[in-house]
Amino acid sequence: MNALTLDVRNVTKRYGDGETAVTAVRDVSLAIQPSEIVLIMGPSGSGKTTLLSMMGALLHPTAGTIRLDGTALSDLSERQLPPIRLRQFGFIFQDFNLLSALSILENVALVAELAGSKRKAAREKATAILTELGLGARLDFLPEKLSGGEKQRVAIARALINDPALILADEPTANLDSKIGHEIMRLLRRIAKEQGRSVVIVSHDQRIRDIADRVLWLEDGRFKDVITMTTDPVCGMTVERDRAVSVERDGEAFYFCSKGCREEFLGRLRSEDMGGCRSAVLQRAGSVFAHLASGARDGHASD
Amino acid sequence: MSATWLLARRNLLRSRARLAVSIGGVALALTLVLALDAIFEGVGRQLTAYVDRSGADVWVAQSGVRNLHMVASWMPAATTDAVADVDGVALAEPILYTTDSMSAGDERGWAYVIGLTPDASMGGPWDVVEGTDRPGPGEAVIDRRFAQRAGVGLGDRVPMLGREFRVAGLTEGTASLVNSVAFVPFDDFAARRGGEPAISYVLVRASAGTSPDALAERIGTSVDGVAVQTTAAFGLAERKLVLDMSGDVISIMNVIGFVVGLAVVALTVYIATLALRREYGSLKAFGAPDGYLYRVVLAQAGMSVVAGFVAAVAITAALSAIVPRTGVNLDLAIAGASLVKVAAVAAVIAALAALLPIHQIARLDPVIVAREGVST
Repeated sequence: MNALTLDVRNVTKRYGDGETAVTAVRDVSLAIQPSEIVLIMGPSGSGKTTLLSMMGALLHPTAGTIRLDGTALSDLSERQLPPIRLRQFGFIFQDFNLLSALSILENVALVAELAGSKRKAAREKATAILTELGLGARLDFLPEKLSGGEKQRVAIARALINDPALILADEPTANLDSKIGHEIMRLLRRIAKEQGRSVVIVSHDQRIRDIADRVLWLEDGRFKDVITMTTDPVCGMTVERDRAVSVERDGEAFYFCSKGCREEFLGRLRSEDMGGCRSAVLQRAGSVFAHLASGARDGHASD
Repeated sequence: MSATWLLARRNLLRSRARLAVSIGGVALALTLVLALDAIFEGVGRQLTAYVDRSGADVWVAQSGVRNLHMVASWMPAATTDAVADVDGVALAEPILYTTDSMSAGDERGWAYVIGLTPDASMGGPWDVVEGTDRPGPGEAVIDRRFAQRAGVGLGDRVPMLGREFRVAGLTEGTASLVNSVAFVPFDDFAARRGGEPAISYVLVRASAGTSPDALAERIGTSVDGVAVQTTAAFGLAERKLVLDMSGDVISIMNVIGFVVGLAVVALTVYIATLALRREYGSLKAFGAPDGYLYRVVLAQAGMSVVAGFVAAVAITAALSAIVPRTGVNLDLAIAGASLVKVAAVAAVIAALAALLPIHQIARLDPVIVAREGVST
């Protein structure tokens, strides 16, 4: 595995022409360093998946350049890209995308064989990785026999089999429960730090921020300069602090997705006041707040 | 097993019902072609069985006559001696021949009626199962299957050539779907033709060291007014006549079989590819080259067609074993040429059936895996 740097410069992706044209990503720049874990967050339709697809050479940008260790991926033809995707990138998707007819061992080994490994060597390597990921007893299982977490670990093994420098993960925890999602994230962090691979994750899942070296906020196809996210203490929804309905109590600000949540919050405070437990409520609410990310125009700001 | 065959085989086996439909459809379509070929090959062999088993190396007929079916050959009796005098002829024997109806009870059929000289060593019945192989005056040797169906046996009388003959022998292997062969005395046959000193064919055996081809050529140049062919060429001409008469039917059935097979395989491979569209998209995203995916689809189509072909051969072989036992005068013979033809048809079906799915894969955008959501 080589330590490669992915450099995204002024990339734009536009779908369609004329009045019906939709710009999914606008003039985005970003550099990924070896061993770095970058989390790209943003609301639905903000262009996260489109950006990740371009970074993984699945999509050509309309404008701008994407360089992998100096090679301009955006200038290569579709015919030249498969070998790069095969050897330089490891993909992990929300839906796992395992081949239903193959056992998990074959799913992983196949990708190594496509990259030129001999069958025996591919199977041995796949066995080793799957075993390391705790799936050694299930090598001959079909994907349909596995749990969501196990499927995602198979997808991670498949992403690792060709020793890629970059792992690109699109909503890797979306179909997993909280515990398994954390497990998968810790696994990705270990892979990044112990094996020196860069990991780019696109997700709505705020829990992932714990493992990220850098968190970026993409909205309307652009990285926002500064964005602070917080959690509505009533409904738990992630809200943008600058746009949220807020209330201040005892010198601390609380943010809500709607006036309804704010009223409910104030109502609870009043009832707790009568019970003499007001400070306990505020403490509880404060404990779930998450001041998330401050992004920068060039994608270099950190959390 | 390579990655291509592994994935193709597993994809095929994933949906056993679809695989069964695919293989069954191909088998049915190819059986249509193969069985029809086998029927015509079998009929052809039955029709030329008399020629093939005559024991002659060369057949001499009236000028212009190249076969037995639907022709009359009429030559002077002296032709036999003229042929016998040609260098390289070991033996020359005349036969009389006509096509006539033969009836007994409710059974009525067409027969090649052969007039044999009493001491004939060629042109006689070759597998007599009851009675004599040389009919005496007023006697006939007829096919056993015809005799069974007509309910006649040795000693019973059957009408032919405008008179009745007593059945003196029963033979095997002399019946086909359209006729049988009956043997009567040469003199009885000649008498029914007004006693003319005429013959139909001269059967010739070559002397040791003389090739039939060379002998046929020599007789042709030495004897006037005759058409001379080796037995192999004479049989081939007979078979070709039958195939020419049925060529259109064979062609139509071949086309129907091809179209049905193509439609079934194309549809099932297309549906299978469509069902796995997302998985093919995943493979593209991971970097599988298009060529690999095309090979997987081709291998799937190929495996379906090969399995269908094997099943078709097995079904036709089973038919060829069963049909003769049903009492029908029909032998199915699977010829090597027919197998090659049907295998070629199957290969074309596999290749064409894969075209549409390949086109579908070629257009598949690998980014599909990031945009659509189906859990696997």
